[in-house]
Parts: sequence; C-alpha cells; structure tokens
Amino acid sequence: MLERITNPEEVRTWSGAVPIEHVYTVGVAGEVFFRAIKDRGRLVACVCPDCGTDYLPPRLYCERCFAKTADYRDLEARGTVHTFTVAHFDLDGRRLATPELYAFVRINGSGGGIVHRLGEVAASDVYIGMEVEAVFLPPARRTGSILDIAYFKPVV
Amino acid sequence: MAKVAVVGAGMTRFVRRAQETGRELAWQAARMALDSAGLTLKDVDAVVIGSAPDAFDGVHMKGEYLSDGSGAWHKPCIRCFVGGATGVFAPIQGWYHIASGQFDTVLVVCEEKMSSTYPHPQGAFITIFDHTTERALGPNLLWIFALEMNRYMTVHGITKEEIALVAVKNKKNALDHPCSQLQEEVTVEDVLNSELLAWPVNRLDVSPASDGAAAVVMCAEHVAKRVSERPVWVEGVGWHLDTAYWTNRDLYYPRYVEYAARMAYEMAGIREPRKEIHIVEPYDPFDYKELHHLEGLLLCKRGEAARLTADGVTQRDGDLPVCPSGGLLGVGNPIAAAGLMKVCELFWQLRGEAGKRQVPGTPRRGLAQAWGDLMQVGTVIILGV
Ligand SMILES: [Zn+2]
Repeated sequence: MLERITNPEEVRTWSGAVPIEHVYTVGVAGEVFFRAIKDRGRLVACVCPDCGTDYLPPRLYCERCFAKTADYRDLEARGTVHTFTVAHFDLDGRRLATPELYAFVRINGSGGGIVHRLGEVAASDVYIGMEVEAVFLPPARRTGSILDIAYFKPVV
Repeated sequence: MAKVAVVGAGMTRFVRRAQETGRELAWQAARMALDSAGLTLKDVDAVVIGSAPDAFDGVHMKGEYLSDGSGAWHKPCIRCFVGGATGVFAPIQGWYHIASGQFDTVLVVCEEKMSSTYPHPQGAFITIFDHTTERALGPNLLWIFALEMNRYMTVHGITKEEIALVAVKNKKNALDHPCSQLQEEVTVEDVLNSELLAWPVNRLDVSPASDGAAAVVMCAEHVAKRVSERPVWVEGVGWHLDTAYWTNRDLYYPRYVEYAARMAYEMAGIREPRKEIHIVEPYDPFDYKELHHLEGLLLCKRGEAARLTADGVTQRDGDLPVCPSGGLLGVGNPIAAAGLMKVCELFWQLRGEAGKRQVPGTPRRGLAQAWGDLMQVGTVIILGV
C-alpha cells in the first residue's frame, strides 16, 4: 500500500488544473501603504488609539480591540534582521542555481516588519540583528507593489 | 437544552467590487454587530467564521485570513464551510458553541469577496465538479441550475412568467434596504427579456455576484437577559445532506431542505409551519429557488409556491412575507454573507427595527434557510421573540 509511484503514467490518471485567476484590491489601509512605497519610497505604520499596538504594514482596524487605527506616519525603510534563511530549492522542488536570501526585517520605529529578500550581501555575512535598508526600484518602474522594493541591503 | 439568543447584528453594503479587503469587510460587519449589542471584543468568548469557497477571495485557508477582522485574536475560532449553505450554518455553529455550555458569547462573522475571481466567479465553480466525469464538459453553475429549473417547471407545469414574479418582488423589496447592491425596479417583461444565459435562466432570474460581510452576536440566556432588552431567541436549527451523486436525485424537489426544516420544526415544537412561521427568508440565488425552497420548507404543497407568489401572499404585506429583505436577488449575493444577511433580517424584523422593510403585524417568529455544496445541503434556523 505504501508503494511509491515513480511513473504516474503507469496508473490510469487524468490531468487537470484548477485554473482560477484573481484580481485583488489592496484595501483601505493597503492603499496608504503601497502609495507611500510607490510615490515616496517610504513605509507607513499606524497605531491603535485604544491599546497602542503598532501596525506595519498598517491595518484599518486593531485586531486586539477592534478600534479604527490612527496616526498613519511615514517611516524610513530601514530596520534590523529579526531572522533570516537561505533558500536552496524553488517551489517545485528544483535546486536553485543561486541560493536566495530571505529575511524578516523589523522596521525601525515600528512594532511591525516585513519579509523580503536580502541583496548585496553574502549569506555567510548575514546575522540576526544586522542593520539593513530597502533598495527601491527607480520611481518610474514602481507599480505600487511589494516588489517595488528590490531587496534590503546592509547599512554601511 | 440551554437557550441561545441573538443580541446584535451588522452588515456591510453589498457591492460588485469593494475596495476593502475581505478582512476589512469582516471587521466592518463584526464591529457593527458588537456595537449594536452594546458589547466589545472583550465580551466575546469565541468566534465562528463562515466563508464559502476559498477560490472566490483567492486566499486559501480563508478562515485564518479572516480571523483578525472577525475578532478572533487570542480566542477559540473555527471556520465552517458548506458552500452556499454556510451563511445559515455559521449561526447554527454559534448556537451549539453556546448550547453546549462551553461559551457564553460568540461572534459569528460571514464574508465573501467574489470580485477577486477574474474575469467572473463562475470560473471558480468548475473546480467543484467531478474531475473525470463532469469537469471535462466545462460546466458552470448557471447551466447546472438551468437543468434543475427546467425539471421543476416541467414537473409542475410552471411558467417562466410565474417564476419571474419572484425576481420582481425581491428586487422591489431591496429598494428599501440600505445595503442593497441593486437599486432598480424591474417588471416581468424585463426579466423575460433580459439576456438568456442558459435556458430557461435569464440574467434577471439570477442574483448578482457581490462583495460583502455580515455578522451576529449570540449569547447564552443569562448573558442575553443582562445585555439585551430584546433578545431574539434561537428556537430551532436543522441541517441535512443529500447525496452528492446528483444524478441519483430527482431535481424537482429539495429533499435536503425538507429534512433540515423538519429537524428545526421539531426542535421549535412547530406542527403547522404555514401558521406558525410569520416571516421566511429562503435562499434565493435564482428566482425559482425561492419557490423550490418554500416547498421544501413545507410552507406550501409541492408545486404551489408559484401560485402563492402570484396571489401576493409572499409580498411584504402578504399573509406569508417571503424575503422582505430583498433577498439575494435584490440585496446581493456574497455567498456566506448573503445567508447570514437573512438571519440579520429576521433579527431586525422580529425586533421591529427593519425600518421601511418592516413587515406589518408584529411578527413573532421567522425562518431563514440556505442551501449549498453541490446543491444538496440544506441549513435552517428559526428565530423568535
Ligand atoms: Zn487596539
């Protein structure tokens, strides 16, 4: 029963896909966040007026007390590496020609952060607590996407 | 069994494409429900989220995605899913969370953002069909329901004109709903002359695709009596599953609705539903489904629902008001949220808070019903004051 099927054509199979496409809206708070990235090369945070929880990316409401958030403010896209990894395989299990660096970056002056790529640094030189800053695409190439940030690089 | 009450309700506007994300919609409805009950998140012991296929929002594990906007931070939370029947199943799940004695106050939130599927949510439905026997034909729900509608019409000798009266009534009722997506009165001729989608289904026979959210707050008796002057009690619940081999059913009659209704009637001690139910919110994604479901709910004989409609019995000021909210055909159809919207409507109607939609004569008991999965799940809830 635990026999491994190495050639799926040996059993009667049917190939199909789940072909669904989506168009997402970024939402009310997301609109503020992505406009700041696109137009100003900044990250936006906000805060809950009731409990003081800080949100980056900003949220329309506080999940802890359901208050509407306030005090939207621009922050420089700088922070510290909270943790990181080096990926050697892609989504389909194929070995990557070049391993990729991913980090959770805690943004300075906020309680939140974002997960993104690291660049201009060797895997062996990355450490938790390292100071990094975002490298944005040139303004003309930005689309209001999280990929308007090319990667984070060490602050030198 | 412990008594359970609904003490608050809220909903967003139903729209074709909301700027808000799904979780932002969920928050708006949940916050409104809590505010209407005079409660805060601190009062909530557990959260029930209802949302239909993940494919609509385009987010897998939508329960987890919606949890923050549904108030589930640091709370027990579960997401239920029985397709189109979800919106009435979610408050049933809220009911047993409380009836079990485990929780005193439960927030129930339903959300759907169908505009995310591109170009049309119908595209997502193909994945619910059997991948070897049916999917190769490229089925969509419109022609699947067209098969059912044709069978229903033919067995009973009902005309498209008679069925169109349901769309006319519900879209008219929806003009009085502040959250309504559709804002136009239509005539039988408009329905018959609207675009033919899959015979016998024309465009105005069908509810629109929508984005939206709805929420209710449910409490145990001792809490309800403390926090609410006018609690609306859950008197009966029922749910039932028929075979998913839909070629083994006769499509002219929704047996699964009947069995779900019988379960709810028995719990509520109802022997003559036609006399003891004062408002009905049956699931009406298509106009013929309102008739189909009224029959399954045993509120009239098989094949008689069309005549009740023609005679004006199901009008808001008729003897048995049906979909006084405007239903899915009028208010809109963000799947799970649409079902819960019906429960919200009963809450407002039974408390005399339905404004321009208020059914005359102080109704004391209402029934909401939804239906889903592969057209074989029925869910029923009966509320009363
Ligand atoms: Zn807060």
